[in-house]
Amino acid sequence: MQLQDKYRVAILSAYALALHGFEAMLPSPIPWLRVGLANIITLTALLLFGFRTAMMITLIRVILGSLFTGTFLGPSFILSLGGGVCGTCSMGVMLMMSRKLFGPVGLSIIGALFHNAAQLFLAYWLFIQRIEAVLFVSPVIILIGTLTGFMNGIVADILIKNLLKKESDSLHNVAQA
Amino acid sequence: MKKALRSTTIADRTLCIVLIIVSCAAMFYSREALSQGTDVVIEVSGKAVYTTSLDTNREIPVEGTQGRAIVEIRDGKVRMKEARCDNHICLKQGWITQGTIVCLPNSIVIITGSGSKKDVDAITG
Amino acid sequence: MKKTSVLVLTFLILAAIVSCSIQKDSVYKKSMPLMDTIVSITVVSDSKEIAEKAMEEAFGKIDSFGYLINFYSEKSELSEINRNAGIRKTRVSPETLDVIEKAVLASEKSLGAFDPSIGPIVKLWDFADKKMPSEKEVTHALPLVNYRDIIIDRNASTVLLSKKGMMLDLGAIAKGYAADMAVDSLIKKGIQSGLVSIAGDIRTFGLKPDKKPWTIGIKNPRQTGTKDEIIAMARLTDKAISTSGDYERYFITAGRRYHHILDPKTGFPAETCRSVSIVTDKAVDSDAFSTAIFVLGPDKGMKLAKDLGMGALIIDSNGNMHTTDSLKEKLSFEKGS
Repeated sequence: MQLQDKYRVAILSAYALALHGFEAMLPSPIPWLRVGLANIITLTALLLFGFRTAMMITLIRVILGSLFTGTFLGPSFILSLGGGVCGTCSMGVMLMMSRKLFGPVGLSIIGALFHNAAQLFLAYWLFIQRIEAVLFVSPVIILIGTLTGFMNGIVADILIKNLLKKESDSLHNVAQA
Repeated sequence: MKKALRSTTIADRTLCIVLIIVSCAAMFYSREALSQGTDVVIEVSGKAVYTTSLDTNREIPVEGTQGRAIVEIRDGKVRMKEARCDNHICLKQGWITQGTIVCLPNSIVIITGSGSKKDVDAITG
Repeated sequence: MKKTSVLVLTFLILAAIVSCSIQKDSVYKKSMPLMDTIVSITVVSDSKEIAEKAMEEAFGKIDSFGYLINFYSEKSELSEINRNAGIRKTRVSPETLDVIEKAVLASEKSLGAFDPSIGPIVKLWDFADKKMPSEKEVTHALPLVNYRDIIIDRNASTVLLSKKGMMLDLGAIAKGYAADMAVDSLIKKGIQSGLVSIAGDIRTFGLKPDKKPWTIGIKNPRQTGTKDEIIAMARLTDKAISTSGDYERYFITAGRRYHHILDPKTGFPAETCRSVSIVTDKAVDSDAFSTAIFVLGPDKGMKLAKDLGMGALIIDSNGNMHTTDSLKEKLSFEKGS
């Protein structure tokens, strides 16, 4: 991987971590169900730089995040990892299948969906075991996932457009100079 | 922001709307399971005569206004087992985990609730 | 870069597998009607089978013991002792002997404020039918109440009540004893953390899965609804707690409350407290002494608690709370109390 790519990954991961950490500080009724602001970074990376970059950012964010909060290898780490990997993979696969079908918004929703589904499944299999509790809470999670996915998608879309504009602006400036 | 909304594809919007509808529908259906009862209160003529928990299997004799009735709790569910009333509507309600069973002629009401015991593991007193 | 990323990935997967196979502790709870009340057992275990087996065994022990000391059943060993009062010694099981011995010990320590020979007085009251005895009936029965007339022979495993008409009632100590029994049984079956509650006599051991102590709610003696049911919460581990209250079994006649905690010296309800909660190591002691200290009242009772090194929360007849220092740090009070 080129130096520039490594740079990119590092910076984007840092942003993802920061967003994740910021989000963690916000109060919430369901502790491990987050808005997933870090997914904005992941999605942006996926669309601009490819699946590999996006997955690396996800992994780095999850691992470092849990190391920092002292929950490495703990239950929340497992859920985070499972969710993050599944979410990113689902978006990557969808992108591979069709670049035109879904825009950032749709991809984000799909990512959020798979992220949450993976977490629910892992939580049931490993921790909760009461299928009624999991089934009962899944519609709420799907709804929230859809809404946050939608919002994150919009933000990612704006972000991407701005970044592309900046690049084309600077290229333009270089060309002119 | 409006620009971004306009740039969403048809698939994006369809997916979003479909999921919202599906999850809302699912929530309506699971409303049944919502207030999972843990406590049972048996009232006769509006006064609570028994308060017990759904996790204790037992049969409780209750004096209704028309005679004796038996309330049964088993495996986290409760039902009216016997009652001295005409239509036996209360008996036909079967087992419930949430909600209420009413025997109007006898003025017996079985109410399940979630008695949120605010994180207490046990109560002394 | 590719090789290291493969290594990293492998490591992650291995780590994930390892942490998946680490057993997770769950809390299991079951309740059953035994000893004429509700018995609740809560255990922490990483195996449902072990938890259920242990709970079943513990319930069995409580049930068998309940039969031995049931005051209202003619078939119990307790009733046999009572029938043989003033006549002959009764051979009893080791558990029955043990609990009676502990009852006598508690009587000695409380100078008779707790007295298991209060049976004849208990028989004169009926809280369900609102029946109370006359002064004459009580005076007649009082001489039969004296723990010193309980003769125990450890070697022969016999109990003798020396006077005819004497009766033992172990209601104020049996549940605590049974809770201790249950906890010992759970520990023998491999449970390291749990809680046994028999009608409010509670013994806790170990910590919950989140490594916190057990939270016990103390009932408000004058609760008006479900919102003010709990007046204080105690965080306990490896301790027992029992509460004696004037609101458990009582009736009100002519504006006066008559409740089931009778003073062995007068034969009538002790009037100076509304509720007494005692925290100590064993439930047999917390059970007996919550009764004794209730009878003794806020001053003498508090002194006894301190002398015995027990934690106490006394709510006196005016509603004022008295707490021992040792207990203060374990308690948190609900708003409005």
